[in-house]
Amino acid sequence: MSVISLFSGAFCKDASVVAALETTTGLPVVRDADLTALAGKLSGLGADKIEKAFTAKTSVFNKFTHEKQRAVAWLRLALATKLAEQDRLLVSGFCALLPPRDIAHVLRVCLIADAAFRRAVAAGEAGLSDRDGQRALERADEDCAMWSALVADVKDPWAPALYDMVVPMDKTGVDEAAVLVAKHLADPAVRVTEASRACARDFLLAARVETVVTGKGHDVGVSAKDGVVILTINKKVLLLDRLENELRAIVGKLEGVSDVVTKVGKGYYQTDIYRRADFEMPTKVLLVDDEREFVQTLSERLSMREVGSHAVFDGESALRMMADDEPEVMVLDLKMPGIDGLEVLKRTKAERPDVEVIILTGHGSEADREECMRLGAFAYLQKPVDIELLSDTLKRANEKVQARKAGA
Amino acid sequence: MTRKEAIRYAATVLFAHKGFQETTMQDICKVTGTAEGTIFYHFKSKEGLLMAILEHAKTQILSEYEAAFTGRDFASGLEMMEEAVAHYFRLAGVMEHEFTLLQRQFPHQLAEENPECRSHLAAIYSCLTDIFERVVRAGQADGSMGAFPPRETAMILFAMVDGLLRLKTCNLYDAGALYDELIASCRRMLAKPCDGSC
Repeated sequence: MSVISLFSGAFCKDASVVAALETTTGLPVVRDADLTALAGKLSGLGADKIEKAFTAKTSVFNKFTHEKQRAVAWLRLALATKLAEQDRLLVSGFCALLPPRDIAHVLRVCLIADAAFRRAVAAGEAGLSDRDGQRALERADEDCAMWSALVADVKDPWAPALYDMVVPMDKTGVDEAAVLVAKHLADPAVRVTEASRACARDFLLAARVETVVTGKGHDVGVSAKDGVVILTINKKVLLLDRLENELRAIVGKLEGVSDVVTKVGKGYYQTDIYRRADFEMPTKVLLVDDEREFVQTLSERLSMREVGSHAVFDGESALRMMADDEPEVMVLDLKMPGIDGLEVLKRTKAERPDVEVIILTGHGSEADREECMRLGAFAYLQKPVDIELLSDTLKRANEKVQARKAGA
Repeated sequence: MTRKEAIRYAATVLFAHKGFQETTMQDICKVTGTAEGTIFYHFKSKEGLLMAILEHAKTQILSEYEAAFTGRDFASGLEMMEEAVAHYFRLAGVMEHEFTLLQRQFPHQLAEENPECRSHLAAIYSCLTDIFERVVRAGQADGSMGAFPPRETAMILFAMVDGLLRLKTCNLYDAGALYDELIASCRRMLAKPCDGSC
């Protein structure tokens, strides 16, 4: 019998799959909470500090002294300790991404599903509305992406390269998924061998070394092969010899280390700051409507269709956003207190004729429609609006903007 | 993030790593996807953009230090020193690009001729040295530190801390690995000298 490591998106019925596997395979289950508690004890840092490594928010950690890497190193050690003790285990949660690939007797499983399925599960299991469910899963996915980037250097947490099998839960029932995983677990390729046990021991050695080097404030990749520790320096350091000597001095005297090899990784050569920095531009669709509830719901529904938007509630704010934020498309209500929609339309088309304005109103007359179109509106829609029609109109308006940009 | 903030952020990164002279307005347009006119509309000029960056850095450093020290009790001046140093590096992590930019030469050169630039830099460095001076005075008041001249000692302390950060911003060494030893050195330097009894 071997080890299953099971990583799952939020709301993919992972708890049920784990429960089914526990029954059918009899493997003892290790969850993030168990490993966090163990890591907290081993490190003396406390479980609460270790646990924070799982969230995308980094501000609780000191980036300079690599505190997050330190927490991860202790989690690795906690898991490596378990894996060295027994080769019958079901690791479920974030920690499932921690074992290195060369431990061949670990079957790596990922459970994921499409957003509609996950929203339905969020509604069924947690009683969340469509909107709250979407939000919760976006937040959870952000954490997953941060985690896979941190521990596996892969931004997409569901990337097939990370796993032996990816189970689409929207197309696979819980029992069926458990059967599938159990079937793969019986595959000779994931059988425990002397070689795979040696890899598990190397994982433990590397994890011990990592807790020591991160404890001294270093941030290097650590792996081990037959007692030889390989340290990968992934940042540009001019005084490389000094750093290598220092690392060798720290690691060389640790128990179980037969030799230390240092090398430079791809981060050492990385000079392209365009890739390093994440320049995220603000949303390009501005929604203007004094009915707050309506406009916020609209904004969220658009975000489910991957249209980023920002909502404001009056004409003054719309004109200010126009100046500050340069949206490309505006969805505008006509009747608003203060500066009304018609005025916003006039000024917008006068100052920034490139912005496409879609009128969306509940009170418009035929004369209003004619007036708006004369003033240069892209389209004139009546409330209540079909979301498909609106997203389609937005798409067409956006295409027009892009075509003009390309031509300019 | 508004478009204006996004432009400022992108410019901070480019100025910090590529240099002020070496960064063109086209570079900023390229990474932000904005028209050059928009950048001029918000910031008037490349220099104006740098001023906005410095002003923002100033505001953030000042408010972060205030938040870290207001209403907090420290066991001794030495503990307060440790927090002041730790906070400096915490900020250097959160405001990575701003700190790299501050350690480059061009803002300091510009300060010689541009009074606005000078006043931003003066405010940032006064805030930081003031904190260290407060630390020394607190340590002297509670007897945990020696009777060294507070202002000069604070400047030397700051120079040590800022110098260590330079190892990182200049890619000389992984300065995080020297952090624990820095704290120990600061303690040794500031602690009340032993009288004959020890």
